[in-house]
Amino acid sequence: MDSLLTPILSYVLLYKYVAIFFVVYTGAVIIPWPANAMLLAVGAFASQGFIGFWTSLAVAVAANCLGDLTDYGIARKFGERFIHRFKIDRVRFFISLKEELITDAGVTVFITRFAGSLSSIANFLAGFVEVPFMTFLWFDLLGNVIEPFGALTLGYAVGNYWSDFSNLLSLIAGIFAAAILLFVLARIYRRITRKYSE
Amino acid sequence: MGNNNASDIKSYIKYAIIFLVILLLVLCFFLVRDYVTLRHAQIISARELQLSALFKAHGPLTASDVAVMRPWMTFDYINKLFNIPPDYLKNTLSIRDPSYPQLSLYGYANHQHLNITMVMSEVESSTRSYLTATSTN
Repeated sequence: MDSLLTPILSYVLLYKYVAIFFVVYTGAVIIPWPANAMLLAVGAFASQGFIGFWTSLAVAVAANCLGDLTDYGIARKFGERFIHRFKIDRVRFFISLKEELITDAGVTVFITRFAGSLSSIANFLAGFVEVPFMTFLWFDLLGNVIEPFGALTLGYAVGNYWSDFSNLLSLIAGIFAAAILLFVLARIYRRITRKYSE
Repeated sequence: MGNNNASDIKSYIKYAIIFLVILLLVLCFFLVRDYVTLRHAQIISARELQLSALFKAHGPLTASDVAVMRPWMTFDYINKLFNIPPDYLKNTLSIRDPSYPQLSLYGYANHQHLNITMVMSEVESSTRSYLTATSTN
């Protein structure tokens, strides 16, 4: 089992929702905790009657959204200064990424919710390119309900066997992250090709 | 100039895409391997996919399941998991730590300067004794 996960699980058993909130929030902001594996375990704890399923889901969704909004808010407030200072706005890849995010802001925000630690980068980028707040909030909320619900439900369903599925869930999360990155890069590639062929 | 920049970016993106495709294939390979391992261990099977069978995994554990104990588990959780009285382990193991039962096995071993393996084996054998005694009654 993940060496980071075991101390987290002790804290979850001791402090329950406070620990879930802390891990999910800091994970959403930047720290790459194994949050999905923890939610899988929380689902199993819920199936054993140790913790509330719906309360855990509500706490996880709230923490995830607040974490994402923290990244978005920081990037929105200080992003412009940062971009000018490091001349990032002259990098063509950044410009392409900006176009991609602005054109399909909702879809990009939504799909990157399933990209694990990459979602923090997407939050910062969404703030940098000034994706409208309400668009970010709604699509972020939608993705953040589906992702922890999936992990908690799987944990609940497999119950005492949850640790056997932890590796499987990490692999699925990795495949999602790689597929999403592939999808975004392929769209940028297509956009550049189309722009310069005109 | 603009076209040169664009073709540079295109080639970088192309390499990134190739890398990601390879990464995806590798991850899929590991996913299938893990799935096959779980099937061989009979953790995933057609029978387990039935809801009624799945809910069997949610009841209190029995004496044969004590090996699932891990150092990160708290006494409170173990009591609930095996359905044992809250003070049983405290009395049996003479635990005087005021944090009991909100205390992990690892935390207890650490506070008392005990070997975690020894603590685990004591908790396991006490739990096994209790469950065996109650199941025969």
